[in-house]
Amino acid sequence: MSDSVITLESLAIGYDGQAVLSGISLAIARGSFTAILGANGTGKSTLLKTLLGLQPAVSGQIKIQPPAGFGYVPQATQFDPLYPLTGFDVALMGTFGRVGPMRFPSRAEKDFVRDCLRATAAEGFAQKKFSQLSGGQKQRVLIARALATKPEILVLDEPTAGVDVAATKSLLEFISQIHEERKLTVLLVTHDLPLVKKHAQQIIWLHDGAVLHGTVAELFTPERMAEIFEMEVG
Amino acid sequence: METLKEILSPDFLLRNSVYTSVLIGFACPLVGVFLVLRRLVFMGVALPQISSTGVAVALSVPFWLGAKPDHAAHSEHLLAFAGSMFFSLAAILLLAFCERRGRGLSEGRLGTAYVVASALSILLLSKNRYAEVGWLDLLKGEIITIDNYDLAITGATLALVLTMLLLFHKEFLFVSFDRAMAATLGKNVLLWDILIYLLIGVTVSISVLSVGPLISFGFLLVPALTAHLFARNMKQFFALASVLGGLTAVLGFGLAYQWDWPVGPTDVVLLGVIYAAAWSGQRVCRLAAGKN
Repeated sequence: MSDSVITLESLAIGYDGQAVLSGISLAIARGSFTAILGANGTGKSTLLKTLLGLQPAVSGQIKIQPPAGFGYVPQATQFDPLYPLTGFDVALMGTFGRVGPMRFPSRAEKDFVRDCLRATAAEGFAQKKFSQLSGGQKQRVLIARALATKPEILVLDEPTAGVDVAATKSLLEFISQIHEERKLTVLLVTHDLPLVKKHAQQIIWLHDGAVLHGTVAELFTPERMAEIFEMEVG
Repeated sequence: METLKEILSPDFLLRNSVYTSVLIGFACPLVGVFLVLRRLVFMGVALPQISSTGVAVALSVPFWLGAKPDHAAHSEHLLAFAGSMFFSLAAILLLAFCERRGRGLSEGRLGTAYVVASALSILLLSKNRYAEVGWLDLLKGEIITIDNYDLAITGATLALVLTMLLLFHKEFLFVSFDRAMAATLGKNVLLWDILIYLLIGVTVSISVLSVGPLISFGFLLVPALTAHLFARNMKQFFALASVLGGLTAVLGFGLAYQWDWPVGPTDVVLLGVIYAAAWSGQRVCRLAAGKN
């Protein structure tokens, strides 16, 4: 059995003690690329928030192998455009977990953030206002910010939401490239089946209160797909 | 120019009022930046009024107990400060808690708090026979009779607030901009929220006590809103808002002194004129840039 970085045991997730999904037991292999799929309202974001520790599990256990740290990439559309922050300012926030209160990021940390922006091809957006960047450009800055946390697990919440088709393809290829180069564990929430099929190794499919977990080859068979879509239509 | 020279002279009779006005002018916009960024502008309106009600309640307590007021006594100012602080902090924490829960109508809560606080202040003072002697002036912002003690208290409090803002600016900005990311990196979001609300509450209390609710509201929000039109990054945002507030305080005092106008309303109208001019200027520049 491969080395698991995240293990969920009989996990139930939801709000105010009410479970929206329960009985989730699965393991996510270290260094894997896992896509979390499901229609709106099936609990994808709730699962992500619970994994990240942003909201408590209703019951069950989440085991994260240390020293795994999360690099979180939220949806770019959620940020308030009122903040006059540059791309660099946003990416620099990735270092704030290491730079405590009453301290300021050192020159070395700033250089590291510039490296992260370069790695995500977002160097050109460093001095531009974050609010004025396009959806795809914002996502690259946010991925640079997540890399600046020096994570072992990269968690992306619908990074292609609001991004055009060409930019979506390029973004997914780029995430795939980072995954391979940096040996990161990637958890990606998305709706885009063709791109998932191309890039992901494992799938967590949230569907009608059930959680299907397997490899792309196991879940993307015509029989399983027909079963899932039949259930969705039904 | 002669008037400005005169009011900035160390021998000027009302120098403490000028210094206090300028201190408030520089400091309030720095806190106001966070109110604007967190879209809590209405809180900036309601808080100074609630803080004033705290002053009215605190000053009414000795009257209810049968004690005679001594308007010159520092103990009365301390009592007023305590009342202002208590009401400001209680209100900001309560309103922020409701904001976090995200239930109900936020504007409705703030509007109700504002109007009830205003009415309560008037009711309390109308039933207090000593009110007109000096307390109404205090509530309106008795900006012309600030003694060295009050100036020192205001200066020390604002210096403390500015130091905290400088030291924890990174954390305040982070939890304001992206709470989820801050939480995943181990930041205690609730603690930083409470701390920033405390700083806002302290600033509002001390400024209401020194210059009154009208000027406090003006300096909290208008310089920050004006600076936001031009700022390209956070450093520019803070610097522009603070400098604009400080300069307007000096200029407003000069105009009020020269034309014998009340200082508070002069400052606020001047801030409004600057904001309108800046907004119009920006629109014209954008239109011109669009044509080219």
